[in-house]
Amino acid sequence: MNGFLVRVVVTAAAMMLCSTSMAAQTNPYTATAELPPATKAAHLHITKGPALELANSNSAIIRWTSNNPGGTDEHFGVVTYGTDPKNLNEIAKSHIRLNRNHPYTVFRVRVDGLQPRTTYYYTVDSMEGNGARDRVKSPVRYFTTR
Amino acid sequence: MNRRTLPIISVVVLCTMALCMSLAGRKVSAQDASAPSPSIYNPYPPGILPPDLNSELARVLREVDFIESEAIGQWHALKPPVLMGNPPILQGTGVASVEILGKLMNFDKNISPNKNRACSSCHMPYAAFSGPIPSVNLTMIAYPGSLPFRAGKRTAQRYTYSSYFPPLQYNATQGLFFGGNFWDSRATGYLTRSPAGEQSQFPPVDPLEMGNPDTACITYKLSLAAYRPLFEEVWGKGSFAISFPSNTASICATPGGAAVFGGSATPVALSPDDRTKSNNVYLHWAQSLSAYEHGLSLSPFTSKFDAFLAGKYTLTAAESAGYNLFRGKGNCNSCHLDGRSTAPAPTALGAVDTGVAADTTPVFTCFGSANLGLPKNPRVALLYESTPDSFGFTPNPGGFTYTDFGLGTFLRGGFGSAPNPNSSWTQFAPTTDGQMETMTVRDVAMVPPQCTGGTDAPGPYFQKEFFHNGYIKSLKQMVHFYNTRDVFRFEVESGHCPAGTVEKVNCWPAAEVPQNQDMTVGNLGLTDTEENQIVTFMKTLTDGFTTPYPDINTYTGTCMTGGNASTQGNSTLLSAEELRAGAGAR
Repeated sequence: MNGFLVRVVVTAAAMMLCSTSMAAQTNPYTATAELPPATKAAHLHITKGPALELANSNSAIIRWTSNNPGGTDEHFGVVTYGTDPKNLNEIAKSHIRLNRNHPYTVFRVRVDGLQPRTTYYYTVDSMEGNGARDRVKSPVRYFTTR
Repeated sequence: MNRRTLPIISVVVLCTMALCMSLAGRKVSAQDASAPSPSIYNPYPPGILPPDLNSELARVLREVDFIESEAIGQWHALKPPVLMGNPPILQGTGVASVEILGKLMNFDKNISPNKNRACSSCHMPYAAFSGPIPSVNLTMIAYPGSLPFRAGKRTAQRYTYSSYFPPLQYNATQGLFFGGNFWDSRATGYLTRSPAGEQSQFPPVDPLEMGNPDTACITYKLSLAAYRPLFEEVWGKGSFAISFPSNTASICATPGGAAVFGGSATPVALSPDDRTKSNNVYLHWAQSLSAYEHGLSLSPFTSKFDAFLAGKYTLTAAESAGYNLFRGKGNCNSCHLDGRSTAPAPTALGAVDTGVAADTTPVFTCFGSANLGLPKNPRVALLYESTPDSFGFTPNPGGFTYTDFGLGTFLRGGFGSAPNPNSSWTQFAPTTDGQMETMTVRDVAMVPPQCTGGTDAPGPYFQKEFFHNGYIKSLKQMVHFYNTRDVFRFEVESGHCPAGTVEKVNCWPAAEVPQNQDMTVGNLGLTDTEENQIVTFMKTLTDGFTTPYPDINTYTGTCMTGGNASTQGNSTLLSAEELRAGAGAR
């Protein structure tokens, strides 16, 4: 048996038999306390949209981008909608998780239970995980289902 | 022993081990999984069970036995115990002792009623302690229990880093649950304070898994185990001073749910004092297994990414691009927290990260839950277990109508979950329907080293299964799903994508639970190349780069080759419509 093969075999045998000592090492993990909610944005504003991302006969996805609103990481996009632009009487919410490292946030909201070939008017907002609204200023827009 | 003798002995030992594994393999002949047998429960339509199921179960059992014998050796290699202090501590050997005890429990097939399933039967090291049988991962998703072929409804979650999840709690500020173990978080850790430990208490008495009829059966079998002395060394003499009735062995060899038990959860008749002792032994079972999972032999922080964080590895161009996408355009680290940059970081390709590492051991999860809107997987075994087995047990009376609401079902204490220990949580069930635990990304790509192509075709690859219902078969598909879920969504069932589309490529069937879908993802705008770069980055989170991963070389099966990652597994797709009709007809 040559020397190299002996070293390989000894190393393999040591690896198999040494996990006991490995297991006894100190774990480097230090538990990190859950971070408090991020600071709220001073001036929340929409930078893109809101606009229709997708519509079919009975559902739609509304999309917009704002600067990062801050507050709770768990967030919701909120679409208030209806067939009468002066009476937006329905609300749809979709969960979004903010990325604290991102200066912007893309909000997307699923709106289900729509009627086919119907025009809907809507405004958008976002809210924190505990229900507090961010109160972003939104124009009234519309879309038509297929 | 001189220096020349040691290598020779090592060679002999290794060769003997290899020979034993090889010979053991010849003792078990493969059978047709569909062959009728009074002890076999097979309510499945053709195509659900993989044809090599029996031979693969036997293969895994040989591997399990091999690692158990290795653990016996590790136990015997421990230095003699020295108990010191008060509270008493095994000086020097305490950590290794409890971790090895957990390992011995994990690879002990004798815990199951038919002495044919260990915890590790569904959780092997070379798959980061997740499902070890490629054909099961490709087909029936859940693993057959001690009574073949009873099986559950979800994929086997990786053990790695599961011990880092905190006890389940509702965060009123965030409006979301954090912590717990299991896809539906039902191992809350409310008593043990260790969700991973509590997790280990469920499968031994789940009728679809090990299937012991009573937790006292685990105590009884531990009292007979070869490693009982180690248990008593760690947890105290007298742990097993319990008067078991004479019919205990017979009861504990009968699968749970059997009609003969009349619905009793405690068919082993113990005195109140002995029942308390048994419950304490089962608590120590949980603590020992959690210790094994938390140890450096299982969750070691030895990946390329860990070396990168320590400044000892430079990411390649593709890995670096993938990382920038992971925390930028892909937005993966909004929940799979990477521990980097407490300040806003640049997200454009080529931009320089000036942030700092805020956490040098990130576990790549926020410990929360989300409904990703996965399609229903018609291959899930539980959907067909609507008829009684030979013990009079019917796993799923609802058959194909079963819908997996995940966390919402648990909060209601509904079918297929566990009792909810906190009534104030129940009110949140409607807003958590469909939510499943966000797993760590760490070790998602871990495979046996001989499968050099990783998890994805063309390989040579090791077929894994992803997410709670195993619908996704490759990392490429996983990223593509996050990227295009809402772009290619069709209101169809799996197996019924419109003509001109390809399922999982440009057709995603309807969500099993449409409400509460997470909209952080679904239309990320990633290119094909960018998807691949994120896959490349995920591979940097596989442990074993800085130090060899223990027991990863124990896979004795084969790797797969051919095909491509985008359509991996599509050849095994079955028509949901036909399966549903068949399930109703039986």
